[in-house]
Amino acid sequence: MEVNLVVNGRKYTLTVDPKDSLLSILREKLNLTGTKNGCNQGHCGACTVVLNGKAVKSCLIRPKKLEGGNVITIEGISPQSPDDKLHPIQEAFIKATAVQCGFCTPGYIMELYALYERNPNASEQEIKSALGEHLCRCTGYKPIFDAALLAQELLKSK
Amino acid sequence: MSYNVVGRSIIRADAKEKVTGAAIYIDDLRFPRTLYLKVLRAGVPHAQIKSIDTTEAESIEGVYKIISRNTKRVEKTLLYGTCIFDQPPIAFDKIRHAGEVVAAVIAESEKKALEAVKKIKVELVELPFVLDPIEATSSKAPLIHKRNGEYKHLSTFIPIPKSNIFYKYHLKKGDHENVFQEAAVIVEDEFEYPLMNHAAIEPHGAVAHWDHTGELHIWSSSQAPFVVREVLADMFKLSMNKIQVNVPFLGGGFGGKSDYTIEPLLALCARYVPGYYLKFRLTRKEVFIGTVLGRGLKGRMKIGAKQDGIFVGLEAQLYFSDGAYADTSCNVVLAAGHNCAGPYYFPNCSLQSFGVYTNTPPVGAMRGYGHPEGQFMIERLIEQLALKLEINSREIRMKNFLKPGDTNSLGQKITTDNGDIRECFEKMIKVLEVDPLPEKDDRYIYGRGIAALVKSPVQAANASSNVFLKFNEDLTVNISTGGTEMGQGCLTVLAQIAAESLKVSVEKIRINYEINSQLTPYEWQTVASMTTMRVGNAIIAACDKAITQFKNNAALVFNCDFDDLVYDGRTVSYKDESIPLENLVLGYQYEDGHTVGDPVLAIGSSVVRDVTLPNLETGQYQPYEWTFGAQGCDISIEKATGRIRVLHFVTALDIGKVINPETVIGQITGGVLMGIGAAVKEKILFDEYGIMKTTNLKRYQIPTIFDMPDKFTCILVENIQPNGPFGARPMAEHPIIGVPPAILNAFQYATGISLTKLPVTPEKVLECLKERS
Repeated sequence: MEVNLVVNGRKYTLTVDPKDSLLSILREKLNLTGTKNGCNQGHCGACTVVLNGKAVKSCLIRPKKLEGGNVITIEGISPQSPDDKLHPIQEAFIKATAVQCGFCTPGYIMELYALYERNPNASEQEIKSALGEHLCRCTGYKPIFDAALLAQELLKSK
Repeated sequence: MSYNVVGRSIIRADAKEKVTGAAIYIDDLRFPRTLYLKVLRAGVPHAQIKSIDTTEAESIEGVYKIISRNTKRVEKTLLYGTCIFDQPPIAFDKIRHAGEVVAAVIAESEKKALEAVKKIKVELVELPFVLDPIEATSSKAPLIHKRNGEYKHLSTFIPIPKSNIFYKYHLKKGDHENVFQEAAVIVEDEFEYPLMNHAAIEPHGAVAHWDHTGELHIWSSSQAPFVVREVLADMFKLSMNKIQVNVPFLGGGFGGKSDYTIEPLLALCARYVPGYYLKFRLTRKEVFIGTVLGRGLKGRMKIGAKQDGIFVGLEAQLYFSDGAYADTSCNVVLAAGHNCAGPYYFPNCSLQSFGVYTNTPPVGAMRGYGHPEGQFMIERLIEQLALKLEINSREIRMKNFLKPGDTNSLGQKITTDNGDIRECFEKMIKVLEVDPLPEKDDRYIYGRGIAALVKSPVQAANASSNVFLKFNEDLTVNISTGGTEMGQGCLTVLAQIAAESLKVSVEKIRINYEINSQLTPYEWQTVASMTTMRVGNAIIAACDKAITQFKNNAALVFNCDFDDLVYDGRTVSYKDESIPLENLVLGYQYEDGHTVGDPVLAIGSSVVRDVTLPNLETGQYQPYEWTFGAQGCDISIEKATGRIRVLHFVTALDIGKVINPETVIGQITGGVLMGIGAAVKEKILFDEYGIMKTTNLKRYQIPTIFDMPDKFTCILVENIQPNGPFGARPMAEHPIIGVPPAILNAFQYATGISLTKLPVTPEKVLECLKERS
């Protein structure tokens, strides 16, 4: 089947298998490897991207839900030119030492990107519940939670 | 001693790459002429193979090759390992666990390969199976390896032929036959630490390519590229300089990617499609059933003490369910056997540890490597001794902690260089007691528990780290190491060590994370919490040599004694004259062009010294180094749900000089949460047919953010280790060790119930509370 979608501001018309996932389309067809495949079952959250303003586990999204869709991946919020700075959420992850192996990091960042775009004043509980969609085996979560709070602060003061 | 960059929490070297998704992991690599591998797994835990028919599968378009025991050059003798050589890359005559690979399909896509896998027909004769390590030692148990005892093995690992015991370790200290002669009281109990999965968020993957000159190139998510190289060289009778093992960033390891996992099978299969790049990436389920698991202990322990709580003897039998193949678990069995004595002095010990074949996936390294298992036993049992003697368990611990001059279970003398367990313990308790434990209320009961810990790096007696250091013309530095960055932060910490040694800013240092076994110097493997210590020391050695080279060059110019020269990171000076390093880095060039001296390149090595192999009679040996620590927690137990929550978790570790505090704290918070998983959540389960049930991250529950303690405290005790880089001591796995006993000790404090089997799930708690009332 054919699907039209926008990924990180670029328009694509792609021929895909209806059983493909958004994750495999991003990684295998578009070579956007920043989105990670941790379980392919919707359990770990490593593959989280933003689809039409909402954080989704891309491994669970089939092409029929993608027609006309707008997808933002970690590559889309990262510096696009040598003069660009990191996104404040990325800054916060570095400052709060929330990165260890880094495999879950893009998923967390996209989750928070969607959350703060929608609700810059999200409560601690809402933040925690968004982060609860993800697994991290390295950090013990505390630095990630700290990074999320710091990111909110940085975004507000921007 | 004041340092410039050592001791500072600088930003991680790999942070920007990782927050932008630009860091390259195994599955992000792209290759030309790529084919894909998918495998058929046995699906039964123990069976004899009668036949394999791949005819129909082979006829599917897009399938290149199917490999099984029917394939030419797949032979029964193709066994690999490093301690006990008992594992075939693909099942030959027998199935020994349900995840064992029976056939492998190479195809143009994973979809095609999977389609073919489904068409392979296998006839099996099922055999009785055994999962429990104690049952497996019975004479009635099905024999999993008829050839046990005949396999090539290192002399250290003594198998018991005609049984499932592939290694029996017996550590004897003092009067080991009458361990309890002087005991006024004896306490004993049985313990269980179940099989677990490392659950790194990145699944295992690898790519293999045989070129037309006969070289084997592999890219793998491996903590141990040089072990992979050794195993493949032995398996394929290939010279080591023709094997290239590459390692990109690792998405977590925790021991699950140490030694080797999928590489032998992949390399075997790739040999049938020379010139192609064969990619094998595991599904999450395959990570559970087709790599290695961790832990799997059932054991008994007895402590004998005098009336005043002084220990007189320790006896233990540990049985490890080590799965279908022995190799990767041998040293875990050894480590657990000797360190189950914990950080305590026992004049007499008789400690037996058994590595047992069972019909589960093979078991291997997992964060802590034998230490969490044995010390869970002793730290729980001390609480029972305290109740029996009516002495506070803290007092018992303080009375028995190893002190300089004491010999540990291995007969090794503890010195002040090993750090101070008492200081850790007292500091931990002081912090824990700042907040009073809440009174019980309608909803919750509360408990406080503590544990002490000790860990030695279990490593090859000749383990070494080696680095190449290159000074560039602009005075930046590249250092190549085979130490893998899997999240622990070694790139950052090693750069700090190099910058401090060379007296330059850390921005000038690049630790090359791209590992290629043909270019990178030998590194034993990235395990045992040894990277800061062993690679760090190798870097210091290389830096010293680089400085020597700068000075040698300058000595030629000044025509002076080497010892009269001063290197300060910017210049080399002699009396009041100095030459900038830029003018020395390629040798010194005079105005007329002629040059003296040599470019600044250096190698550095660090070999572990004075480590010996276990004595076959006594089991005693000299390990490397020890890190002491203490942990404690306050927990709440929700009466309605049985849920245990950690309110405050305190960890104190004597890790010597801290190179990067935030990196250490990151290891502690992560390790503690992994320990919480072991205490209250994680266990590999099998159904009645011996098939694993917990094969995804929903059924095998690792901790989530909701399991995070309300408060973490990390106390970094810095008693210097003179042999460590700037005085640092090994630290990474350690924070997991004391967590389950501390939580279960807190549970006992809260409820009066002594639990000895992990994990303590909400169901288990509810059961206990019901029984109690």
